[in-house]
Formats: sequence, C-alpha cells, structure tokens
Amino acid sequence: MKFDLTLALLDRPGQLLKALEPIAKNSGNIISIIHEREKPTEGYVPVSLVVDFPSNQNFTRAISDLRTLDVAIIKSEEIVEKTRITLIMIGKIDLKKIIETKVEDGRVTGFEVSAPTSKEACVKVDLEVPISSVDKVLEEVKRAAKMENALLISSV
Amino acid sequence: MRLIIVGFGFIGRELVKAICEKLDNIKKIDNAFKIVGVSNSKGYLYNQEGLDLGELCHIKELSDYSQNHHSGSSSIQLIEEGAADLMVEATPTNIQNGEPGLTHMRHGLKRGIHVVTSNKGPLLVAFKELTSLAEENQCELLYEGTVAGAVPIFSLVKGCLQGERIFRISGILNGTTNYILSKMYFEGTSFEIALKEAQERGITEKDPSYDVDGIDAAIKVVILANAIMKRDIKFEDVERVGIRGVTQEAVSLAKKSNYAVKLVGTIDKNLEVAPKLVPINHPLCVHGTLNAIHFETDLAKELTLVGYGAGKETVSAVLNDLITVLKKKKRENIKS
Repeated sequence: MKFDLTLALLDRPGQLLKALEPIAKNSGNIISIIHEREKPTEGYVPVSLVVDFPSNQNFTRAISDLRTLDVAIIKSEEIVEKTRITLIMIGKIDLKKIIETKVEDGRVTGFEVSAPTSKEACVKVDLEVPISSVDKVLEEVKRAAKMENALLISSV
Repeated sequence: MRLIIVGFGFIGRELVKAICEKLDNIKKIDNAFKIVGVSNSKGYLYNQEGLDLGELCHIKELSDYSQNHHSGSSSIQLIEEGAADLMVEATPTNIQNGEPGLTHMRHGLKRGIHVVTSNKGPLLVAFKELTSLAEENQCELLYEGTVAGAVPIFSLVKGCLQGERIFRISGILNGTTNYILSKMYFEGTSFEIALKEAQERGITEKDPSYDVDGIDAAIKVVILANAIMKRDIKFEDVERVGIRGVTQEAVSLAKKSNYAVKLVGTIDKNLEVAPKLVPINHPLCVHGTLNAIHFETDLAKELTLVGYGAGKETVSAVLNDLITVLKKKKRENIKS
C-alpha cells in the first residue's frame, strides 16, 4: 500500500534521519523523497515522501511513532492507484438511467452515444476506478446491463 | 510404428497427404513407420504390411482404394482387430456425447494404443476419464489440434512453461467470428452482411450458431481450463455470449476509441466467452480468421501466440503430435 506523506522538519542536522527511523522500523519502503532544504518556512523544512507499507497497520504505527517523536505531519494519505475502463452497451437502453447509475468507487469520465441507424442504441462509457475495485465495478456494470437487457462489451 | 487413422474426412485426407509429403523425414525417426489402417463410418482399409500411401493420397472414398477394403465394418473392429501402435482420431466433433470419437479413444487407449486427435467432442465430455485411461495404460494422448489448430498451445505449456503459474488465459479462439468482426471493423458492414459473406466463402456452416453464439469458443475454453489450468469444468460452467448482438454502431464507436470488438474466451477465476473491447495495440488484436492466445503468468508475465485455427492448418498440429509420439517411443526403445 502506497502512502503520500508530507512532514515538516526542524531545519537542524539529524532531523531527517530521526523522521525516517519510524518509517524503516515499521517496514516502510521509501519510493521517493523530496527534501526541500532551500525552502525553509519559519524554521521548518517540508519533506514529501511516497512510502510503500505492507499494511495499513504498519502505516498507522509509523504515524503514531512519528507523533511520539514530535514530528509535524502535514499530510498523510493513501495513494489509490486508478485505471480507466471503457465499455460499450448495446440495447434499448434508458440513457438517463445509465447516467444516473451509481457505480461505487467509479467515476464516469466519458460518455458517447452513437447515432443509431438500427433500433438499438449504443453507448460508450469511460470510467476511472481504483485498480483494487475493477472486478467489483465490472460486476455492478454487468448487473446494470442485465437489468436493462443490454449487451455489455467490456475491455480485456 | 503402425498408424491407423479413424475418420477419413477433411483432416484425415489432408493428414495422409502431409505424411506422404514428409515421409522421408518421418522414416528418419522411425524406419518402420507405416499407415496400416484407415476407417470411416462406412468401413475400413487394413493391411498389416502398410497401405499404399501414393494411392491413399488420391482417393476420396475408402471404397476407391484398390484392395483391403472391408465395407460395412466399423472403426471399432479396426481398432480392436488391427495391429496398431498409434491412432489418429479425426471423426467429426459431437459436443452432446463425444461420439463416436469417445468410444474410439476409449477402445484404443484400453488396448495400449497411443492416441492423437483434433476431435474436441471426446475431450469436452470426458477429459479426466481419457487422460486417466491414457495414464493407466501408459499411452500418449495428445490433442494439440483441438484448440486453435496450428497454434502450439499445449506443446508450449508442456515444454516451455513448466515452472510457471498461469493466472489467466485469454484468446480469440474462433476464426469465423474473428472474420465477421474484422469485416465489420475494416469495411463497416453489418453483422448480417459479414455473416452472409462468411457463409458464401465456406468459413462457416449454413447454421452458424456453433460459431456466432460462442459454442465453439466455449468448448475450447473448457479444454484449455481442464488441460492447462487443471480444473474440472463442464461446458455449462462457461458464461457464454455470442456476437449476434454486436451492431455496426458498436464496432465503429469502439474503433473511434482505438478498440476492436473481438469474441474473447477467458479463463481465470471466471470462465467466459463474450465480445470484448480489445485495444488495437494489444497482442490479442489480430484480424481475419487468425486465432490468438494470451497467457499471463508469474515469471514470463505475458506471452502471446498467433496463428490459424482451423482447416488444413490443423494438420500441422496433428502431425507434430504424431512425430512427438514417434520420437518419445524411439527414445524409450533406445533406453530399454
């Protein structure tokens, strides 16, 4: 699990090392670190990190240990990796219903309806979803298509 | 080795021609190789000294052969009474009960005859039984020609992916539907017109449901799942949607977004045959009557095979299986 972490460290020698110890102790793997020493604000230097922790518990423990060491935490949040899914639905579709269908975790980023020359409408939908939710989102879309009696063509 | 060919339709006849052309190479592996029998539903030819390959190449019906014809006798009689070491089972596919191929294979394997086949029916309905029977009787049972014709799927997995964990297999497993969808993609024709053209060109049957409703692709999904993923599934376990509902508008809409619509069979935790959007730069995005198989594994990551999946090309797989048996038995004979 990747986390975005921004710390405010006192502009003194040894502060970065001190802040990194709780991360290492809790099995955090630092993917990137930006230490902006040339931009101190009121004696504090911002440090931005992307850290991969094996679990949420490891992350929580690291945060708690940092607080115990009086390290100021400006931002700490999980980075949710997202992917794009494109799908097409064919059928006598109620477009309003499709637009209003709430796909949990997913965000509709594109929508295109073909000018139907056949009796059946054809809709292309682009979704942005967290990678971990792809199966769940596809199941929901599948259910919605089934209810509409529409043919669903999802991407491989 | 003495070979009998059960089924003298398109594959049986083309195999005889291929063997005839490549006999010198085959004889280098097994100098005693000969075809001793050929059968179809009307009777069989048998000569323990070997049939005349030159003559066999030029006949359409077994009764056209000048001698050794046993009219009205069954393939079972040939298997039971003929002295054969190896059988190619090439009777038509029957997905209801696998017959008559299933009975032929059972009889052959019980008699210790190695079996090579391109017949999907018996493997669809009795994969476990047949592989167990082969094992019990120390026989080879090879079936490369059953899925994607000339594309060496099972040989690749058996020979080159032995240490891999395969997560997913997906593939374009039916050339007819790929031909229809390719026509719709490149020429903007409707499904109905593309289908009619496929029928006129003899790519699909008058009743196209076997292809367009995804039945053929689903059979292959079952064989791949049982043979490669070591599952124990039946035809009914495959969720199946064909391509009848795919409209020209859908194909155009997909094309505008750099996708092609393809009928894809997928084996992972789900078993599915359905039309899918395939990105045009994805290795599965092949056109015309081509087949493609895409493996996703733990070490090799992604691997794709592409080739022709039906007709004369299938003979390539059957012949390779046949040579595999000849080579293996030669090695075993040298050791013993």
